[in-house]
Amino acid sequence: MLVKINGQEYEVDQGTTILQIAREKGIYIPTLCYLERVSPIGSCGLCVVEVEGQDELVQACNTYVEDGMVINTDTPSVKAARKAALEKILEKHPLDCPVCDKAGECKLQDLVYELGYEERISHKVVGIPLLKEPPVSYSTPGIKYYPSRCVLCQRCVTICSEYVGREVLVVNEEGDKPRIEPLYADRCISCGECLAVCPVGALTENVSPLKVRPWQKKVSRTVCPYCGVGCVLELNVGDNRVVKVTVDESIPPNYGTLCVKGRFGFEFINSEKRLKRPLIRKNDEFQEVSWDEALDFVAEKLTAIKESAGPDAIAGLASAKCTNEDNYVFQKFMRAVIGTNNVDHCARL
Amino acid sequence: MTLPLKKERDEMILNMGPQHPATHGVLRLLLELEGEVVKKVVPIIGYLHRGIEKLGEERTYIQNLVLTDRLDYTAAMSNNLSYALAVERLCGIEVPERARVIRVIMAELARIAAHLLWIGTYALDIGAITPFFYCFREREKIMDMFEMVSGQRLTPSYICIGGVRKDITPTFLEALRNFTDTFESYILDYEGLLSKNPIWLARTRDVAVLSKEDAINWGTTGPVLRASGVQFDFRRATPYCGYENYEFEIPYGTRGDCYDRYRVRMEELRQSNRILKQALNNLPDGPVLADVPYIVMPDKSQVLTDIEALIKHFKIASGAFQIPKGEVYSSIENPKGELGFYIVSDGSSRPYRMRIKSSCFVNLSALPFMVEGQMVADVVAAVGSIDIVLGEVDR
Repeated sequence: MLVKINGQEYEVDQGTTILQIAREKGIYIPTLCYLERVSPIGSCGLCVVEVEGQDELVQACNTYVEDGMVINTDTPSVKAARKAALEKILEKHPLDCPVCDKAGECKLQDLVYELGYEERISHKVVGIPLLKEPPVSYSTPGIKYYPSRCVLCQRCVTICSEYVGREVLVVNEEGDKPRIEPLYADRCISCGECLAVCPVGALTENVSPLKVRPWQKKVSRTVCPYCGVGCVLELNVGDNRVVKVTVDESIPPNYGTLCVKGRFGFEFINSEKRLKRPLIRKNDEFQEVSWDEALDFVAEKLTAIKESAGPDAIAGLASAKCTNEDNYVFQKFMRAVIGTNNVDHCARL
Repeated sequence: MTLPLKKERDEMILNMGPQHPATHGVLRLLLELEGEVVKKVVPIIGYLHRGIEKLGEERTYIQNLVLTDRLDYTAAMSNNLSYALAVERLCGIEVPERARVIRVIMAELARIAAHLLWIGTYALDIGAITPFFYCFREREKIMDMFEMVSGQRLTPSYICIGGVRKDITPTFLEALRNFTDTFESYILDYEGLLSKNPIWLARTRDVAVLSKEDAINWGTTGPVLRASGVQFDFRRATPYCGYENYEFEIPYGTRGDCYDRYRVRMEELRQSNRILKQALNNLPDGPVLADVPYIVMPDKSQVLTDIEALIKHFKIASGAFQIPKGEVYSSIENPKGELGFYIVSDGSSRPYRMRIKSSCFVNLSALPFMVEGQMVADVVAAVGSIDIVLGEVDR
């Protein structure tokens, strides 16, 4: 099948959408609600393109290509339609950027800057004043929900029903402004998938007390320490603390998905209660000792037990929070030095 | 630090500065003296080095503007202008006409303020205390005007990429009109105190002479070059901000000594005042900031009511903009001479390289040439006459 985009001909397969082709060929079409992982939502109206022979502009995300289609992605009418769609969103958006956690990595901000690169998007004053509203209750304590910042893209609703399959969220059309509501909160498994896909600051993470702007933080890719799946995640570190967990959608095995532990269970890293120095029980009380003293103590006791009762009297239990290398060395130590196969691991948390 | 000079019999090696009041900041001069005669001078610089060029690579183009205030801090407005012109040329931004005229006003006011500061302190250096008070009286008026438009006296950051930060007010215009009307008579006051003063003449006539050829060969610019008889001014040679539309003379000297440098600067005060009057009479209406939404920040009053303006302000302030790839060199006539910015852009929001061409540095390098063989007291007269600001020498 042949289609023509912006004057250039492309050979394409049947059953692909205009947006998919454009992304593949490196043609830029702005989107706000589109998610690769679920079926097209088509709520934002930003991906509109012009198809010759059709009276109205079509949405690139949910229009399948046909043979001989002639598509234009950058005409004045397309630009005007995109600006109009964005203006509609901006009209109801509060002036929250200075206090919003998302500012700096907000999809709406990016779009306003991109589409308003040459001239203003709106020819009137848009937006509603800073509300300073407290967040309303949500289906999980891990997320703060600010309905006033919501742009009604319905990414969260779609991902929850189509991808996670819990159907917690619904669009409540009553009242003057429709809003997303966690109507079936009891079904929520706190996976935070809605948080990950929210393009604006309507859903923000509520675990870390410290927040940083995107240019102040460092992102390190690592493997989730909790279970055997080994999800790849990105630790967002600011001021030497993990402040947030994000995921790269292109990387296996989880392709952007996480469970409640992977997404929200990072505060232990900075916990005050973590063991940082070895302790030895002396007179029924734990006391901090030096590493030398602790290692001497353990070596002495292990040698004594091994000599009196044999190596199989000793068992080793490793931690899933250690790295593979640590655990490898540990089992090697148990087998080669102690001489026992009594090694186990807690990777069933 | 090992001395770069070798001491022989009957010679004295003397450190002048870096805490000497006549070195205008933190310049250190290593003098090799034979009695009262200066045999060799080695300027040692770097005591005010803040790494502004390197800092420039770490900050966005908009943040860099405040660094330029700290170059020649006696004429911060001019520094802002030179930097803004360079970035605007890189991006191809057209500045509105009203902003161009306001920029001329600010640059000329900065020139007058810088020259007044120079006359006052130079006279102090070589023994006349009175002019200082007169000069600072007028300089204070200019500082007040700067405060009116920008809220700052010394480091205004008022001229910004795309125009000027805010429109000037009627109060400012009235103050400026009063200033230009009366300033001519004040120049006569300064000249009355100095021009025919025998002590002044004895200290400056034929002292620290720099011939026309040497001035060109050393690469000097500004009043130092013009006092040596070269009629060269960037406002005339490569006009910017519409300087080609103003009538003014380029004063120049004949002997290239300290007295000629003084005469040139006095005459420049008059010419600047002339330019100011013309600018005042031809001030057009209109916007003062270019309409380039991707780099010019929206007005602050809009930012507090309009989400689109707020978002753009946020994105620009956090460095979302991208400057086109390329390189540019742009220079202007600062009160001290040529101030040039060479900026290399790699297409990001931060300069890949920001080189600052400083006239003070170049003019200072001609100092040893001027004073070797003269009396030690003339070193003070020579250092003062080339008018250096260490903030720009060391950068």
